[in-house]
This record gives sequence, structure tokens and C-alpha cells, in this order.
Amino acid sequence: MDFLAHWGLTLSVFLPIVGAALIAFTPKEQEKTIKFLSLAFTFLPLVVGVLLLRVYHIGMTGMQLETNRSWIPSIGARYHVGIDGISLPLLELTLLVTFLCAIYSLKWLPEPHNPKGFLALMLLLETGMAGTFIALDLVLFFIFWELVLVPMYFMIGLWGGPRREYAAIKFFLYTLFGSVFMLLGFLALYFRASPHTFDVLQLQRIGPSLPSGIQNLIFLGMGIGFAIKVPMWPFHTWLPDAHTEAPTVGSVLLAAILLKMGTYGFLRISIPIMPHAARTYAPLIGALAVIAIVYAALNCLAQTDLKRLIAFSSVGHMGFVMLGIATLTQIGVNAAVFGMVAHGVITGMLFFIAGSIHERYHTREIPQLGGMALRLPILGGLLAFTAIASLGLPGLAGFWGEVLALLSSYNPLSALSSHTFRVYMVAGGIGTVLTAGYLLWMIQRVNLGKVPAQWEGKKLVDVQPLEMVAWAPLLLLTLGLGLFPRLIFDVTTHSVIGLTKLLGG
Amino acid sequence: MQIDYAAVAPELVLTGALCIVLVVDLVLPDNRKGLIMPVSLLGVAGTLLALLALAGDPTRTTLGGMFVVDSFAVTLKILFCVAALLTLAMSYDYLRKEGIHQGEFYFLLLCSLLGMLTIASSRDLLPIFVSLELVSVPAFVLAGLQKIDVKSNEAALKFFLFSILSTAVMLFGMSLIYGITGTTNLAEIAVRLAATPVLRSIAVLSVFFVVVGFGFKISAFPFQWWVPDTYEGSPVPVAAFLSVASKTAGFVGLLQIMFIAFHGLADVWRPFIAAVAILTMTFGNLVALTQRHIVRLLAYSSIGQAGYILLPLAVVNVNGGSVNHEAFAASIAYLLIYAFMEMGAFSVAVAYGREGGYFIDDYAGLGYRAPGLAVVMTVFLFSLAGIPPLAGWAAKLFIFRAVIDGHEYWLAVAMAVNTVIALFYYAKVVRRMFFEPAGDGPLGVKVPLLLQATIAVSTVMVLLVGILPDLAAHLARMSTLV
Amino acid sequence: MRVPGAAYLIVSAILFTTGAVGVLVRRNVLVMFMCIELMLNAVNLSFVTLGRMMHALDGQVAVFFVLVVAAAEVVVGLAIIVAIFRRRASADADQINLLKW
Repeated sequence: MDFLAHWGLTLSVFLPIVGAALIAFTPKEQEKTIKFLSLAFTFLPLVVGVLLLRVYHIGMTGMQLETNRSWIPSIGARYHVGIDGISLPLLELTLLVTFLCAIYSLKWLPEPHNPKGFLALMLLLETGMAGTFIALDLVLFFIFWELVLVPMYFMIGLWGGPRREYAAIKFFLYTLFGSVFMLLGFLALYFRASPHTFDVLQLQRIGPSLPSGIQNLIFLGMGIGFAIKVPMWPFHTWLPDAHTEAPTVGSVLLAAILLKMGTYGFLRISIPIMPHAARTYAPLIGALAVIAIVYAALNCLAQTDLKRLIAFSSVGHMGFVMLGIATLTQIGVNAAVFGMVAHGVITGMLFFIAGSIHERYHTREIPQLGGMALRLPILGGLLAFTAIASLGLPGLAGFWGEVLALLSSYNPLSALSSHTFRVYMVAGGIGTVLTAGYLLWMIQRVNLGKVPAQWEGKKLVDVQPLEMVAWAPLLLLTLGLGLFPRLIFDVTTHSVIGLTKLLGG
Repeated sequence: MQIDYAAVAPELVLTGALCIVLVVDLVLPDNRKGLIMPVSLLGVAGTLLALLALAGDPTRTTLGGMFVVDSFAVTLKILFCVAALLTLAMSYDYLRKEGIHQGEFYFLLLCSLLGMLTIASSRDLLPIFVSLELVSVPAFVLAGLQKIDVKSNEAALKFFLFSILSTAVMLFGMSLIYGITGTTNLAEIAVRLAATPVLRSIAVLSVFFVVVGFGFKISAFPFQWWVPDTYEGSPVPVAAFLSVASKTAGFVGLLQIMFIAFHGLADVWRPFIAAVAILTMTFGNLVALTQRHIVRLLAYSSIGQAGYILLPLAVVNVNGGSVNHEAFAASIAYLLIYAFMEMGAFSVAVAYGREGGYFIDDYAGLGYRAPGLAVVMTVFLFSLAGIPPLAGWAAKLFIFRAVIDGHEYWLAVAMAVNTVIALFYYAKVVRRMFFEPAGDGPLGVKVPLLLQATIAVSTVMVLLVGILPDLAAHLARMSTLV
Repeated sequence: MRVPGAAYLIVSAILFTTGAVGVLVRRNVLVMFMCIELMLNAVNLSFVTLGRMMHALDGQVAVFFVLVVAAAEVVVGLAIIVAIFRRRASADADQINLLKW
């Protein structure tokens, strides 16, 4: 247990990269070994992650399971990792979703067939994603953050759809553009802090006393990096392309986890370190968030590609998360963290289903589908269930994040103008209605109606056992989190209280 | 005058080695010339040993204060020797296949290396000038060594003309400095420049001349025109040597002169250097976007990299000089890291070029034909682009750090934008290698053993320093002159 | 008659400028080469003059270095020009244009 408390996090983050190295040295022909390795090295971190829950004290504020070791002394960067209530759910989500992706990949691998490359990149990606959520040193955070880029670039560019190369380089350039500014922000923060440090926890103590002009500037620099990743409107244009072109597993990981890195960056770094700037920019962030909500919903109404529709819906859902964060209140931030997890579970599931639909119909064009509930009742049912969860039906996971985000914007942090945020609330409410509209319309067009003539007499296989195995945890979580939101809130609340205290809330 | 022979031991060993190489070349029959390569390798290895014996010693000064062996000198000399070793290993098979005279090649390479060793120890304008020429003159011949190839001739000629022109300008600047201060010793110059403010305008003019001279060596804008032509026309290992070792030698001279002799005038030249650095990186990166030849792409990329390395000079003496140490260390660290990633990229180009060609089109589908080679090339290119956790990222971090420490936020932003532009053309090559079908290039490229070693060493260094950047940072901080 | 040191420096500056203009204006490689030599000699003249004005020897010493290096460069440079001339029978810089962009 002692070992677990000190090195458990490190273990869960670096096991996948070990797996990736092992796969790299396995001959290409031994596909069974490669698949087994990928399964083992996503399962082991998950086991470690679950064991971590036993040593983690839920009722405590502040960082736990910390490791803090010397790393680059000459520039003052340290290997400092730890988790609290905000990062724990995201870490567990990462470990779980990647494992499910590995299960799914046992049978369904994108073309061109190359399990070695694909699975090695997936494991590399997991290290980057999980590492981002535990890093407590800005340089370390940056490394993990960027580690995600290259595998995702290859995943989209090699195994993606027809416009994969464009989507891949767009994703790469956008994110790199954001992250260099983020890095400049980190460095500026480092030199403004006295004593100079990259340590997030120390900076949370030092940062608030920085002059407000500096805070605003640094917040803006970092904000560009995080906002592109979220993605916030108007930086979202890479996302529909990347999502649409990426292979199923890539889309799932992108939606379920990668996007959370941006919002997590706001919660872990920007806001607590620069509370003054956070208050200054909160109305702007809120405005961009509601624009994203409405804009994404309107865009969704116009989409015919199922994946592109889900991708745009992601922009909207992340808008709700950002709206919750922008209120800077306890409820709002709690809602944001819940929304992040719920979106990861639900949208991840939606992309799995979209992938499976494509697997069967070889198209994702909604007008060409139809009557799926007749031909493939289970898949159709799952699509309906998940889409309804996504639109925020009470009792399912999507509900809490959205409704609490709207609720919190009725009553934002006292330093913020409540009038502005009430306008946001109304706009967001309209967005909810539109969201319900396009999702129901999507269900109607895909599931109901007549089966188009081209599918008559074609053999279409319904959901297979392996798919069910890969999906069951997500479906259960959708239901479980909806019925028992305390599963998340109990974990997050204490840390969120700690965070909002820094903001004077 | 007493000479401290221990201090000049590496140079003596190398001089001995190159004499032996010359003699061996005379004695050996034509079909046995390959033997010269191990002899040269041993010579450089011996030099390296002599250097390692000096490492950690207190500073030694000899030859009337003109020749100093301190940690700065030792670190850079080791870097030069390593670069020469990698070049030697890279050249062996290349020369045999291209039918280039091996004896001359190794002799000239060692001569150039000797100049690099002495420049790192020179703390006086005259030896700096002589060393710099010792670096360049053999390099002219190296560039033109493919005598029957018109391109190689042209490469040599352009290199030569630009080089001596810049040397003449630099010398004129040096003579002015001598006229104002009455000395050629760098430290003395700084003292006397501070004491004679009357002739400030001439001093500034001479600084300008000297910078122009060095601007050519380090391929700074607008003195970079020769670089792509010379790199493309020269034998590829020579291009690698020029882009790493010769450029580093230029920087070594420039850093010494700027930081030691001219730092008092920093207020005047800082904006000028800042502009040159930004223009250099922007020009290099933008033009690289349009390149179709891998060596030219690397040439323009190396121009871009030179801009990054130059940038810390733009924060010299801000805040009363508190950032000088960091700025100096940042440039050194970048040079250390740059050597390995550039050498690595060039060795892959050599390994593939013979069978597959040197155009980027030829790289299409390399990921399917020679996956190993394609993966290491990706590592080097992404390292040059500055993607963590590869070493090039750490190098850029050090530069950013120094520049932001000097409160030059706009320079940092300009460099950040450049980093993104640069990614585009590096990723372009990667895209060709992996995202395109295998094509009709050679299947499974055979890489000679020595070349494999070069690639392996570079890869290991790029990964290792990327994960533990302190290896480079610590060394660089130990090896500054301020 | 005693010529003041400044006069030599002015001559040196004129020589240097002449050389520099020549390099930029002339297209024949050999002439360009000679112009650069002119610049180097301007440097020599100014080193000698400055050394003399300061009653110090290092100016003259510097000239020796410059002379030696320049001689080495002449050897190498002429060799390169001859190699090119053999293959192209021309010494016009504008015709040396295989390598562009």
C-alpha cells in the first residue's frame, strides 16, 4: 500500500509506454501477441487505478498520493505528480476508456491493417493523456500534453477517412500553435513568481499576488492553448475534421479524454494560479461558451454525417462545461467536472456506435441510413439510449452537468455580473432545447422510418458480444452516474471547495 | 615564453594525427585508401581522450593569454570531436560509393577540426580569425571534392567567394577595433571600450563589420544565400559537417566576441541582433516550406535553427546583465542538442539517398519500405521541430526561458510562431513517409554498419536528452564564459 | 615630408570600398576574387598604419597572419576556379547557376 501511495500514479501512467515499447519490439506478424500486450498494458494500469481508489481519501481537500522528485534541476522543473478530486475521475476515465478501446481493437482495427503501429500509438497516447491529469509541474504537464500530439497525428493521418491528411495536420498545427503560447505563459509565470518555480501547488500560493496586468497577459497566453484543446468557439474548427476523419478508437479517445485536457488545464492551472485574471476573463469565457452551445446545436441540425454531428455536439457539450467553469462557483465547477466525465462516457459511447454503424453500412450519411431499429434492434436501441443521455434526460449522466451549469450561471461568483450570466443561462437553455431537437431528429432519421432500398436483402449483423463487452461499462456508467451523481460529486466537492476558496467564493 | 603543453595536448595529438593521415595517404596504393579512415578515427578518438583528460581541470592559460582552456573550451571541443567522429563514420561508405578521394577527404576534415579546436580556446581576435580560416579553407575544398560534378564545383565556389568576402569585412572591423583600443585581446578590448566613449560610433561600426563576418559563418540572414547551394552541391557528409561543426565554430567565435569583448555596447547591437535572429529564422522556415530536396530542406531548416541560437544574444545585458549567464547557456545547450539531431537527420539522408534519392518525393512511402529508417527520421525531424519529449524541445525551452527572463516577450512570440511554421515542413516529410503508399522506391534499404552507428548514437542522444534535459542544460551552464 | 597616419587610413578605407564595390558590380569570378584581395590588402594597410601610430608591433604581426591566410585562400580559390573553368570554359558568375533555390 505504501508503494502504491508513492508510485501508484507513476505506475499507472508509465505502464502503457512500457507496453508500447514491448509492442515496438514484437515482430509485426505476431498479431496475437501484440493484441495481448495492448490488452495487458491497458488492463494493468486500470487495475492500479482501481487500487489507487483504496488509498485515496475521498473526504480530504488537497493533493494526495504525491510524488515529488528532482528532474531537471538546472531549470527548476521537478517530477511532481499527484491527484485530487478533480483529477481522480478524469484519470480513472482515461484508464477505463483506453482499456475498452483495447478490447474493441481485438476485433475491429481500422484499415490499413497494422495492429502493431496502431496499438503502440494508442498506448503512447494513454501515457500522454493520463500523465496530463496527474502532472503538478508545468514542464512535466507540458511534456505529457505534447506527448499526445504525435500519436494522434499518426492515428488520424494513417488510419483516418478520405480527408485524413488534412485533418491530421490541421489538428497538429492548431494544437501546437496553442501549446507554444501555453509554454510561453508557463515561462512567464515562472519568472514572475518569486521564488521561481514551475510547481503548480507553489504557484497557487504565489500566483494570486501577481499584478493583475501580468495575470491577464499570462492567462491569455495559456488560455489560447487550453481553449484550442477544449475546443472553445472560435478555435473549434479543427475538431469536426479530426473527429470525422479519425478511426473509431481515435474518435473515442479524442472525445472522451483529449478534450478534457483543455478544460482540466483551466481548472488546474489558469484559474487557481491567476484568480484575478480568471474573474476578468470569466464573462468572456462564458460568452464564448454559450456561443459554442448555440452555434454547435445549429451546426448539428445541418450535418448529414453521423460522426460530424457527434463532433459538433461535443463542441456544444464542452460549452456547457466551460460555462460551468466560467461561473467560478462551487456548483458551476462541480457541474463542469461532472460534465467532463459524463461527456467522456456518453460521447465516447456515441463514437463507438458511429464506428459500428460505419462498420456495417460502410457509410455514415444519415439520409442513407434509416430504419435501423428494424434491422439492427440492439444497435438502434443503444444509439437511442446514448443519444437521449447526451441530450440531458434526467436520470442519465448527461443531465447533471448541463442542468447544474445552467443553474450556477443564475448565480455566479459575486464578483461577476449576474445579469450577464443570466443572459448566458437563457441562451444556454435555448441551446439545450436545440440539442434535444437535433439529437431526437437524428434518432428519428437513423432508427425509424423505412429501411432504404439499398439495404434490402443485405446481411447486417447486430451488436456482437465483444462489442457488448467493450461498451457495457460505458452504458452502465451512463445509467449509474445519472442515478447516483454523488459517485462523482462526493469525490470532487472537497477539491472544488478548495479551488473556489482561492477565488474568494 | 613557457608553453603549457598539457593545455594544447589535444591540438598536438590532432596535428600529429593529420600528419600521419597525410603520410599514410601518400604511401598506400589506391585500392587500400580505405585504411585511412580508421587512422583518422583513431586520431580524433585520441584527441577526444586528451580532451577528456583536461575536463574538470582548473582553467589553463598559455601562449601569452591567447589560448585558454576552460570548461567552455573543453565542452565545445568535445562537441566538435564528436561531430567529426559522426561525420567520419557517415562518410566512409559514401565516399567509396561516390568515388571521392578518401585520403584528401580525411586530411581536410581533420584540418578543419583543428581550426574548430583552436577557436574554442582563442580569446584574442587574431587567433579567432586564423582559426576561423583554418575551419573554412579546408571546407572549401571538401565542398568541391566531387571534382567531376559541376554542382560540387559550384558549391565550392559560392562557399569560397562568400566566405572570403565576409572574412575581409570582418578583418576590417577587427582592424578598426585594434585602432580604437590598441589591443586584440578580447577582455582588454572590453575594458578599453568602456574607457574610451569618444570613439563609440567607430566602435559600433566595427562591431557591425565583425557581426557581418560571423553572420556568414553561422548563416544568418542576409548572409545565408550560399548555404542551401553549398549544402546541396557538396558531398552530403560534408554538408552535415558544415551545418553542425562549422556553424558551431562560427557561433563559438561570435559568442566569445559578443559576450566578452563587446558586451559593453550591447545596448546598441541588441536590437540589431534581435532583428537578424528573427529574420533568419523566419526566412529559413518560410523558404524551407517550398523545398523539394531533402538536403536543401535541412539547409533551410538549419538557417531557421541558427536564428533560434542567435536569439539569446538579443537579451544580453538587459536588467544589468543578470540574464547573460542564462542566455549564454541557452545558446550552448542548443548547439549541443542541435548537433545530434542535425547529424541524425543527415545520416538518414545519406543512408537512404544512395539507393533512394535525395528528393522528398523519393521518401514517399518509406514507412512501408524501410520502417526503421522512417521512424528514426521522424524522431530527428520532430526533434528539430521541437516536439517533446525529444531533445529539440528542451533546446527550444532553454531559448524561450532566456528570452522571457530578459522580458523580450515579443521575441519569444515571434519564435513561437516560427516553431509552428517549421513544424509544417518537417511534418510534410513525415507525411510523405507514412501517409503515402509504398511507391516504387527500393524495398528495405541496406544501411552500412558505420552509418547505423551514427544513426543509433544520434537517436539515443536525442531521446535521452529529451527525457533528461539536464544532461545538456547542466553542461551548458558549466560551460559559459559569463 | 611626413605623411600623417590618418591619410593612410583614408587610403585604406578607399581601397576597401573599391574592393567591396568591385565584388558587387563585377561578374567575372576572377575579378571578384581580385577585388576581395584588394579588400584584404586594405585591411593590411590599416593594421600596419594603426600599429605604427600606436608604436606597437601587434599591428604588423597581424598583417603577417592575414598575408598567410590570404595566400592559402588564393591557392584554394584558384584551384576551385580552375576546376570550374575546365568544365565550363567560362568564369562568368552569372553562368554559375545550376544551384538555385
